[in-house]
Amino acid sequence: MAVDWQLAAFLVLSVVELGGSIMVVVSRKLVHAVFWLSVTLITIGGIYLLLGAEFIFLIQIIVYAGAILPIFTFGIMLTRRKIMEEVTPGEVPQEPVPETPEEGTP
Amino acid sequence: MAEFWVNMGPQHPMTHGLWNMRVKISGETITDAEPEIGYLHRGYEKIMEVREFQKNVVLTDRLCYVSSVTWSHAYALACEKMMGLEVPPRGQWIRVISLEIQRLASHLMWLAAYGPDLGLLTALLWALRERELFLDLLQLLTGARMNQNFPRVGGVRNDLPPDFDKYCAKIIKHFRGKLDEYKRLMHDSKIFRMRTQGVGRISAADAIDWGVTGPNLRACGVDVDLRRLEPYETYDEVDFEPQVWKGGDGGDSYARFICRFNEMRESCDIIEQAVKKIPAGPYRAKAPRRAEGEGFARTEDSRGEALFYVIGDGDDRPYRVKIRSPVYCTMAATPLMLRGNKMADVVSILGSVDVCVGEMDK
Amino acid sequence: MSGALVSPDLFTLCKVLVGGILRILSDGVLAATPVGSPVEGLRGLGYFLVEDWLVTLLAWVVAITIMVTWAAAIQLLTIMWMERKFYARLQDRYGIMVSIWSLPFWPFSWWAKRRNKPTHRGLGYLQNVADGVKLIQKENITPASADRAMFHTAPVMIASSTILIFAALPFSEGFVIANVPLSLLFILATFSIAPLGILIAGWASNNKYSLIGGMRAAAQLMAYEIPLLLAIVAVLIYSGTLNVIDIVQRQEVPLAASGPLSYIPSWNIFSIPQFIGFAVFFVAIMAEMERIPFDIPEAEAELVEGWTTEYTGMRFGLVFGFKWLRALAGSALVVILYFGGWSGPVFTTLTPYVGGTAIPIPIIPHEVWFLLKVYFVFLIFVWISWSVPRVRIDQILNIGWKKLIPLSLLAIIVAAVFAAFGPYLGGIR
Repeated sequence: MAVDWQLAAFLVLSVVELGGSIMVVVSRKLVHAVFWLSVTLITIGGIYLLLGAEFIFLIQIIVYAGAILPIFTFGIMLTRRKIMEEVTPGEVPQEPVPETPEEGTP
Repeated sequence: MAEFWVNMGPQHPMTHGLWNMRVKISGETITDAEPEIGYLHRGYEKIMEVREFQKNVVLTDRLCYVSSVTWSHAYALACEKMMGLEVPPRGQWIRVISLEIQRLASHLMWLAAYGPDLGLLTALLWALRERELFLDLLQLLTGARMNQNFPRVGGVRNDLPPDFDKYCAKIIKHFRGKLDEYKRLMHDSKIFRMRTQGVGRISAADAIDWGVTGPNLRACGVDVDLRRLEPYETYDEVDFEPQVWKGGDGGDSYARFICRFNEMRESCDIIEQAVKKIPAGPYRAKAPRRAEGEGFARTEDSRGEALFYVIGDGDDRPYRVKIRSPVYCTMAATPLMLRGNKMADVVSILGSVDVCVGEMDK
Repeated sequence: MSGALVSPDLFTLCKVLVGGILRILSDGVLAATPVGSPVEGLRGLGYFLVEDWLVTLLAWVVAITIMVTWAAAIQLLTIMWMERKFYARLQDRYGIMVSIWSLPFWPFSWWAKRRNKPTHRGLGYLQNVADGVKLIQKENITPASADRAMFHTAPVMIASSTILIFAALPFSEGFVIANVPLSLLFILATFSIAPLGILIAGWASNNKYSLIGGMRAAAQLMAYEIPLLLAIVAVLIYSGTLNVIDIVQRQEVPLAASGPLSYIPSWNIFSIPQFIGFAVFFVAIMAEMERIPFDIPEAEAELVEGWTTEYTGMRFGLVFGFKWLRALAGSALVVILYFGGWSGPVFTTLTPYVGGTAIPIPIIPHEVWFLLKVYFVFLIFVWISWSVPRVRIDQILNIGWKKLIPLSLLAIIVAAVFAAFGPYLGGIR
């Protein structure tokens, strides 16, 4: 059986890419969305590779997965208060309150 | 960006000892700091009230376990002042020798801890290698490497072993060469200077206000060394120079580093002079068992001014012992040093201050 | 100039090997199932075993396994051992000494020295294996409040992108899996996926220290990718190609046609603009490898382990060991771009006859020259690492953005000027 490898690769990459882009929109947590975005962008690069544009594929990875996505993530981490408060549930970061002694204690 | 408090400690590779430093950071800059101490509090001042005078030397050794002879010596000095006891000259000289060897061992331990704080892991092994030599000297002299139980109220426990001056000369000669190696490793390294210059600055006025003493104060340009200001033992008969930071911009980590580093050279000089000048004679005077009165002694410990105030009420135990530790006061001043610096500077600053938690928490 | 042991290329060699083995198997099957016997149906298996696509597939599998084992197992162990021994000697101590003589059974325990100290007996090569085994048998703890999906995925991102580097990194002109026209850019692209993984790992641990460490790591790695790429542009102006193997081959020609300079090959480090580029690249690759002086992201004194704090067991082993793999790839890049790759003189050539054909074995072959140079460059990295303190993160970013980028631009300009006007100025390069 003659398998058209180009078509098979294209189908696999497209499914992963479309699935990734749907997960970007659907994810509850922002960092999950960033991860799926990186999957999407890398597979788009794979499609460029299939089309014979290797240079664009590599530049896509360097620029998008290597630079733009970390900047996205910085933007998320530096502006969301919730990230900071998600730290260790038992600990509440606040100033120490001096306790007043009860009546009758020595 | 939100400000939040970060706990550095009590379990932390950086904090040498058991204490907690809470720093409030906004991004990378420290806006406030608050040390939490007391994790190593052992109730010394109370325990010392139920033990006889001589037996308390065992406890004072363990106040700052890195620099034990200096603390026990301060206590012995306070008791002698209370009892009106005069230590014979040979005893005083032996005390000076042991104090300076201990100071060298303590400073080398500080160096060994400071290098890895900054990322220079080689300094740990090099400084500890030299510290081994001085611990050998201490073992020769006193029988133990740490917590030696050496000073006694009235003198020292034993005399110098034979040929001690030859061993001292050999080790100090070797050590001076090594000091030049350390200088090349640390002072001459541009990255080291980038990490320590201008970092953790405290002004001389603030330092005096908050009670900072020792090399930390001399790094701000204030010429206060208790061995010169109020000489005890035979420090007025030896020739050495207190290392004060000259130049206007002192008070930062680099100045503290240089002052403490150069003190090691001075200690070598003192030991060499002392082993030559030491007279013959008894090394210990008999201390009375019961004593009444007040004794107050200030000494220049490795970390600053150690102060003992001993009150006797005629019993064979002290009525009250009050210990003033230099690190306790310097720790209170650390928020001033920390504010405005970056979080990565916390280790650089606290390492240069030379914290020993044993004496801070007592 | 010397020749390569693996020639013409790894895949062909593997195909010959695998083809030979499969033919032997196939002949065996065909001989065991003669026509007319009850197991005649199995003859189909014999014909199947020599099908071209099967041989090609298995050849690729074997080639990839050889490359991954060579790079990620043998070379990793070797450079870890070299680093630990070297910095131990810098620190005036012996270093790791667990070796085959430490094994507790005969004959090793019988003939060993230092009978009472099994860990102090030898060269120390097996210590890293022991550390790996220790990490494998530890429990993989996931913090309760960590983000489970990302916590498990982030080390995978880092590890897989690091191994992917070795798909295009050659160890000699034949010892490469994929010889593609843009292999240098491929190597750099896979290098640059790691910051995202580190950032996600730091966030997913749900730990203030890890978050800070992860952000610092990503900021540092991204800042230093730019001077890295710009220094490579300067090399590109001279080499004219992004294919790693061609870059090395262009450095194999001698500096001058005759005279004393004809004994020196024209390695890129011998030319002036490339020397500036080399300085920039050296510093930038040290920052990319997160070595001291640039290892603030995992500075033990301040942030415990930085972004890897919450990782335990083999997950930690993965990210920890892959730091060394990136160091290997970084040193290999330095050697390829500036030190002439695997080129080196040949002292003699042995030609043993195997099965009627003469196989030339040059002494010293290209693979060995490459490894020697990589170890040399790696040891220089280790030497610097263990002699200097750490640089603070804002100082690191300062150096990266304000000092290295102008220098690398200068290197590009000078390289362009020399490339254009060099022939008129007497062959200056």
